[in-house]
Amino acid sequence: MIGSANLSAWFPEWASTHAPDVDVPFFDIYVVSACALVVTVGLAVVFLRTYRRQDGDPDRMPAQGNNKLLLGVWVLAAVSLGVYAFQLGLAGYVAQDVAPYGATEIGVTAREGRWDFTYPDGTVTDTLRVEVGQPVHLTLTTADVAQNLSIPAMRVQQPILPGRTTEAWFETIAVGSFPIHSGTFSALTQDSLATAVISLSTADYDAWVAAVGDIFAGRTMAEVGELLYNQQGCKACHSLDGATVVGPSFKNVYGFEFLTTSGETITADDAYIKESILTPNVSVIDGFQPVMTPYAGKLDDREIEAIIEFLKTLSERGHAAGQEGK
Amino acid sequence: MENVTQPADNEALRRSFLGAPDGVAEWFQTTDHKRISLMFLGWTAGAFLLMMIMAIVPIMKTLGGPGMSTRLLLETLTYQRFLQVIAWLVPVLPGVLGFFLLPLQLGAANMAFPALSRCSLRFYVLGLVLMIGTLGTFPVGTGWTLDTQLSQLDPGAFGVLMFALFFLGLSWFLTGLNFIVTVHHGRREGMGFFDLPMTAWGFYLYGYLLVASGLVFAILVLYLAASWVTTDGMFGWLADPMLWRTYFWFALRPVVFFSLIPGVGIVSDVISGLARKPSTGYRTMVGSLIALTGIAVISYGASLFGQGLSPAGGLVFSFLSLLAVVPAALISFTWLSTLYRGSITCAAPANFSLAFILHAGLASLLGLFLASPVLGRYLGATMFVSAQLDYLVWGAGTAALLAGLHYWWPKMMGRSYNNDVARIGAVLYIFGLNLALIPRVLMGSKGVPQDLAGIVPGSLHLAEISSLGWLFVYCGLAVVAGNLLVTVWGKDAAERNPWGATTLEWTVPSPPPDDNFS
Repeated sequence: MIGSANLSAWFPEWASTHAPDVDVPFFDIYVVSACALVVTVGLAVVFLRTYRRQDGDPDRMPAQGNNKLLLGVWVLAAVSLGVYAFQLGLAGYVAQDVAPYGATEIGVTAREGRWDFTYPDGTVTDTLRVEVGQPVHLTLTTADVAQNLSIPAMRVQQPILPGRTTEAWFETIAVGSFPIHSGTFSALTQDSLATAVISLSTADYDAWVAAVGDIFAGRTMAEVGELLYNQQGCKACHSLDGATVVGPSFKNVYGFEFLTTSGETITADDAYIKESILTPNVSVIDGFQPVMTPYAGKLDDREIEAIIEFLKTLSERGHAAGQEGK
Repeated sequence: MENVTQPADNEALRRSFLGAPDGVAEWFQTTDHKRISLMFLGWTAGAFLLMMIMAIVPIMKTLGGPGMSTRLLLETLTYQRFLQVIAWLVPVLPGVLGFFLLPLQLGAANMAFPALSRCSLRFYVLGLVLMIGTLGTFPVGTGWTLDTQLSQLDPGAFGVLMFALFFLGLSWFLTGLNFIVTVHHGRREGMGFFDLPMTAWGFYLYGYLLVASGLVFAILVLYLAASWVTTDGMFGWLADPMLWRTYFWFALRPVVFFSLIPGVGIVSDVISGLARKPSTGYRTMVGSLIALTGIAVISYGASLFGQGLSPAGGLVFSFLSLLAVVPAALISFTWLSTLYRGSITCAAPANFSLAFILHAGLASLLGLFLASPVLGRYLGATMFVSAQLDYLVWGAGTAALLAGLHYWWPKMMGRSYNNDVARIGAVLYIFGLNLALIPRVLMGSKGVPQDLAGIVPGSLHLAEISSLGWLFVYCGLAVVAGNLLVTVWGKDAAERNPWGATTLEWTVPSPPPDDNFS
């Protein structure tokens, strides 16, 4: 292939396996079409200078036909250029559409002023962290207007359209940080959404996954509780504002007294809440159905403690009761 | 150019279309194709001048302009493109040179529908004034492609702007209709289709694109306005944005990207006129233009690369748009072989024709990159696309107009211009434009998004080079325009046929009398 010259003047550095698929065809077409332009414009300039009107030229020059052989060669050259441009990089075009088996699945949502990247374990970040040598498969959606996922260093350019899901994939070959932008001014944010791909070595990536996997790191117990409330499906049935959905609201539960379906009066203290999470359908508050999924084996004691701390922050009696508890 | 310096023949001028009856009312009411052409020249030049002033804002922004709000930049970019494409690139050649030359080249006294010509001009002016009105009061900042959801969110005078675009589209439609009927019914006795000059062929074929695109575009913007009012419907908040994008490019791709067709016609006549010999391949040229017109209609999907076109659709439209290499090769070959062994008058029209060949060639070759499936996907939403459009607007379209104006100016105004000054302007313009646009092509391949939404680190020096180029372009165009303008008050009367050309328009006095041939 012709395109083995220094590419750095035209393209960002090669950071993904897609880079050669784009850059090599680009340079091949560049060289060939530059030649075509130089020949055409060059001949026009040469003819303009050579066949200047001289004194003694007749008023009109004789008519002439096109040279059929030359014309044939010229058209054939142009057709070859077209065919060349079409087939060049066709394999790369197809390859860019089909993500390899075993790629890490990451959900991407463009929304008012930020990107959300959702990893398989449910972690959400605003920068895209990837592991060198491991393909990632991106599923793209937008929460408001049409956007573009543009990662020039990865040669990824994919529109994101409202009401549709689009896809892209890439595999990094270099460690570093590479810009991402949305390519569209948003009428909402008045700016292009900019963030970065952070490509990490395997060791660094594993360390990062372990760090974000530890939900207690850098969070208070109540914050962990709120995270679990959102992640574990509690929010589907228990509101935080006092509204009754399927189960009782979490507002003003901790420390309050309730009547159960069996007629007992219980106080929602640490022990009762722990029991209600692990074996929820044993002692049910009056007026509700015993339909909750038991969480025994899904949450450990420390996580349940965190949820209790979270419930305390939602209860008028939570603060005082919390003091007594300690 | 061979000037004959002589006192202006006031008697000839008085009897020409420029002479009495003179006055605002006469010009306002006129249905004369030559007067309408001059008024089109004035209004399109005004639109272009406003666009040139506005273009300074994004140039300053890429250089890190101080304290500029993104909203201002968005609005500027939106109106800049509207003025460039809707009010300049598409209507300028038909409006100015088409209206002036078509009846003269056919041997007719006027267009087939004289009142419709006046209508074209009035709708154009109405649309332009409405558009500038929204710019001055409640500007819209959606970007010129008017994406569905962005349109819904826009706080500006969106409905009024849509009516402005509606009238501009209607003006294209009426112009195209007039051209087609004039060519069919206005030809002098005995003149067949294959006796038409290339310029007439170019405008005739572009007429079909104007009819189709103008009408579809005018109707589409009304639907968009209705969706904006009701927030619902075809292009409402919940609509699929691909629906609008597909319709938009279906309507605009033919007239915008194939605005080269009338340009090719004009440049063919200029080249064959300056070389003082007939075109070497008249039928080849006509066939190529017909083929280009056909390809124009079916290749609209090529503007959807990187915009959400499906992978299979990408392959289909890549193939369809690459078909254009065949007519492009035939056209360039015919030009070169017409120049070969000619007796060429190296005057300003030659410089501008060369500019057209260079810029149209560059626009087409950038199109070759975009038509390659894998590159189209990567480059389809970057500055690369903007640079290609800029090559069409500032490059090919403007160069074709200037080539035509300098070639026919002696006929239009009956005055000679200073050839050396025009050529200096041409060199400044060509040099500056490429200095301005090649860095933008480079920014595109580096991944800078098309609407200047962000600056990739390291591209600031490219923006600096580019803005230096714009300085040359502005100087060059000022020199060229000033040089033509001063001839209006000048004393250099032009010959009837300074280039020794054989088409009919050169047989009438300069400037032509009111009813052309009597």
